[in-house]
Amino acid sequence: MVLKRRMIQATAIAALLSGGAAPVYAQDSLTVASWGGAYQEAQRKAWFDVVEEELGIKMIEDTTSGPADVRVQVASGSPTWDLVQQGNYSCAILEKEGNVEPLDPAILEIPGIPDSMKSDGWIGNLVYGAVLAYSDEAYPDEKPDSWDDFWDTEKFPGPRSMRRHPVYNLEAALLADGVPVEDLYPLDVDRAMKKLEEIKDDVAVWWSSGAQSAQVLQDGEVDMAMVWNGRAQSIADEGAPVSITFDQQIVLSDCWVVPKGAKNKDLAMKAIEIMSRPEVQARIALFINYGPANEDAFDTGVIPEDVAKGLPSHPDNAAKGFVLNSEYWADNLDKLVQDFDFFIQE
Amino acid sequence: MTRTTPANDSAAEPTNRRALRSQARGEQSRLLALSLPAFILVGTLVLLPMGWLFWLSVYGSDGFTLENYTRLLHPAYKETLITTFELAFLVTGLCILLGYPLSYVASQLSPRWASLVMLCVLFPFWTSLLVRTYAWLVLLQRRGVINTWLMDMGLIDTPLKLVHNFTGTTIGMVHIMLPFLVLPLYASMKTIDFDLMKAASNLGASPTRAFWEIYVPLTLPGLGAGVILVFVLSLGFYVTPALLGGGRVMMWAMQIERSMAVYGDWGAASALGVVLLVMTLGILWLLGRLTGAFAGAGGR
Amino acid sequence: MHDASSDTGPAFAGPGDASAASAQDHSLPISVKSLVKSYGAFRALDDVSIDIRSGEFMTLLGPSGSGKTTLLMVLAGFVRPDSGSVTFGDKEILLLPPHKRDIGMVFQNYALFPHMTVAENLAYPLKLRRVGKAEIRERVERALDLVQLGGLGHRDIQELSGGQRQRVALARAIIFEPRILLMDEPLSALDKNLREQMQFEVRRLHEQLGITTVYVTHDQREALTMSDRIAVINDGRIQQVDGPRALYEKPETYFVANFIGETFSLPVEVAGDSVTLFGQPIETGAPLAHGDKNQSLILRPEILHMFEGDPDPGMNRLSGKVRQHVFQGDSVVTYVTVEGERELAVRRQHRSDETELAPGSDIQLGWLVQDTVILPEGDGSS
Repeated sequence: MVLKRRMIQATAIAALLSGGAAPVYAQDSLTVASWGGAYQEAQRKAWFDVVEEELGIKMIEDTTSGPADVRVQVASGSPTWDLVQQGNYSCAILEKEGNVEPLDPAILEIPGIPDSMKSDGWIGNLVYGAVLAYSDEAYPDEKPDSWDDFWDTEKFPGPRSMRRHPVYNLEAALLADGVPVEDLYPLDVDRAMKKLEEIKDDVAVWWSSGAQSAQVLQDGEVDMAMVWNGRAQSIADEGAPVSITFDQQIVLSDCWVVPKGAKNKDLAMKAIEIMSRPEVQARIALFINYGPANEDAFDTGVIPEDVAKGLPSHPDNAAKGFVLNSEYWADNLDKLVQDFDFFIQE
Repeated sequence: MTRTTPANDSAAEPTNRRALRSQARGEQSRLLALSLPAFILVGTLVLLPMGWLFWLSVYGSDGFTLENYTRLLHPAYKETLITTFELAFLVTGLCILLGYPLSYVASQLSPRWASLVMLCVLFPFWTSLLVRTYAWLVLLQRRGVINTWLMDMGLIDTPLKLVHNFTGTTIGMVHIMLPFLVLPLYASMKTIDFDLMKAASNLGASPTRAFWEIYVPLTLPGLGAGVILVFVLSLGFYVTPALLGGGRVMMWAMQIERSMAVYGDWGAASALGVVLLVMTLGILWLLGRLTGAFAGAGGR
Repeated sequence: MHDASSDTGPAFAGPGDASAASAQDHSLPISVKSLVKSYGAFRALDDVSIDIRSGEFMTLLGPSGSGKTTLLMVLAGFVRPDSGSVTFGDKEILLLPPHKRDIGMVFQNYALFPHMTVAENLAYPLKLRRVGKAEIRERVERALDLVQLGGLGHRDIQELSGGQRQRVALARAIIFEPRILLMDEPLSALDKNLREQMQFEVRRLHEQLGITTVYVTHDQREALTMSDRIAVINDGRIQQVDGPRALYEKPETYFVANFIGETFSLPVEVAGDSVTLFGQPIETGAPLAHGDKNQSLILRPEILHMFEGDPDPGMNRLSGKVRQHVFQGDSVVTYVTVEGERELAVRRQHRSDETELAPGSDIQLGWLVQDTVILPEGDGSS
């Protein structure tokens, strides 16, 4: 009770202050939740430090494990997070559910961020790809470079690994079956499932975490896998004989959302605006193998050329793939996950 | 007061009867006071959350609904249910096959050797579940220790598929569950009077018959306790199937986690939880009746 | 009721026809020859030979660790000896496993199967012998009647008292008509009254069935009460095999003399055929063992008589001083000091018309020549 009253007071004060166009120094902190680990450390160095300096505030960090956290916070009536990192279609789902604040129009007008990576309630900040990674030992001569090759177990024998989730898998299956990229959405689910059926027996591991996908590649449990590029890149950097192709990569973006009713909503908007600028965006590539969402970041000169070429959002690489349709998945995820579960267990 | 106990009656009352009665009542209420914290704890930590779980599963944003339960009619859930029970039965069965002889040997050894064997059985308890599960991965995977050995010795040409499937999950889970079976079984075996086996033999029973007709029935209460533990724990298992199942082995508990993490669907997750709870209670009741029947006939 | 003959069926000979012939049919003689069993340096059985007659009640008596239980376990087949031979009748059984020996056994702790009812316990040996269901029921009932537990067949073992368990164990050991019955201290867990009652029961049953019985106990009174013959065992060796009376009256070894009954021993000097006790010559009834240095006179409280004057003529005598009287109800035990420091006890019937000698009085002790037992010390124990 006491706690709740205090929160109401805080909210009231915050409302008063922001309403009165008072200077920002009165609100001296912003709580941000992201994925934790090396990922969040990179964000801290690349972005949070910049925001703190420019706004003269402190960014308090927390971690999230998915959209459920945001729902719980919003449902509680007084979210403690002001800014949350989520996966691409989770952002779309949260927006659909009405759990996020609409973004400041100024943010959406920032140049360089493609339309496929933003919406009224969320904006992409960091890009990665679901790519084909393979063992150099297993395929020393001819290298696989398409989902068609991934499906071709005669030309490229050996166990595969895919995510235990319909997202990316359905797209990859349709591409392997000859569907042109521009005709992918809405997905022909039956056709995709039929194609997946063909490779099911060769998929040794349906991975359920990024760490697991890296482990099976590193230990040679599988010879080929569809993984997030950063995971494959980090084991390759450690010396594992693993290569990545960006051909037909499925580009994804993680994104910012502001939970509905966030205390420091306006401050959160300001922070997003700062972190979406090309020159700030570019900094992320210096600390982790993921690319900036803002394409203009590659023109800032901040990212060394050799690093840029390894990023999924580098224009050369981005051109080889396509961006996942978050809206489609937001609408169909529930049913497709069940169908995919059934497909695997059958 | 004065009306219920007139003077002449109270004179007739036996000495100290009242004082002794009130003493007895005092003791009773003290006993009640002692167990009150336990009742409150059970109430707030077990019953309330369970009630809340049930409530969530039937009460959605539009009032009462069975939607969360009808959702479970999707074939994916049926498959999950079958997998969950298959695995629980298989793991329990294998634990009996491995654990029974092991407990028997340990119960026959001298105390020093017996405690050594039990230490080995219990050792896994002191390592984290995750570590043990990853250790199996190292042993069982395609280029793991076992396949490497077998290939080096020329026994096989292509690696065996030992992990990332039902087999690997079963191996990992049996290893983790074995102590839960062995401990109560060993305890019950230790209490068996070996003269009973001599008596059976003296009465004309061959060692085989004496074992099945005398020894085994006497271990049933311990075995039953172990089986219930292993079975119920297996039904709700998560980590090992998730890591060693290669994504193919979908357990009920994994569905619950997914409902929460992916869909944020408290209603669906609660319904899954309620179903697992009901099934577990059902199995407990059934096993309790089965072993209880033996225990009733066998006593201690 | 309507058929008198069904009261005593083929399973058990009724009291009426406990003839020698039927006893013979239901029993076998046991012959044990040169049995040796060592546990490391310890010899549990040291060249044991004994013959047990058909239908005999033989008790193995000895202190704990003497080897009596080991011998019983060899007979039952639960202990494998190093060498020797055991025959039941004319059949060598030492190489047979326990379940093929067909002998009944009553265990010290009863060893009743706790997961079976009383009737199921009794039926178990019959089931193993593939006896038909109807016959099993009939024989179980009869066996329960025999041990006076009629109508308790449906009870769980846990519901029975100690004495009742003992009876069930007994019934189970004989229900399959073994021709030999082994009992391992079966009454030791019972209280005194119940024990005496069960001693009588066991004896009655033995007489009724005529089965060869080997009974192990460390309780000499029990052995004397129940047995046809007693084998006294010490240090893995048989000391003496004899009837209770002979064993008591004519112990052949110093160990037997001291183990059975209340015994006092006094050192004597033996030279040729003459024996002197504290310098006084005494008469002996039996021939003496020669060559042993330390020989002892064995005296029991009830063979001694007290005299204020001279003892009756023909009695051996010894003078002493009354130290103390202990009143024991039916008898009075008088402790007498002889030769200054040694103490003897004299037991006599209590009579209300007798006055007791004051402590410190000088008296003469006398005993019959035929009661005089002289044995070399330290024999049979090394």
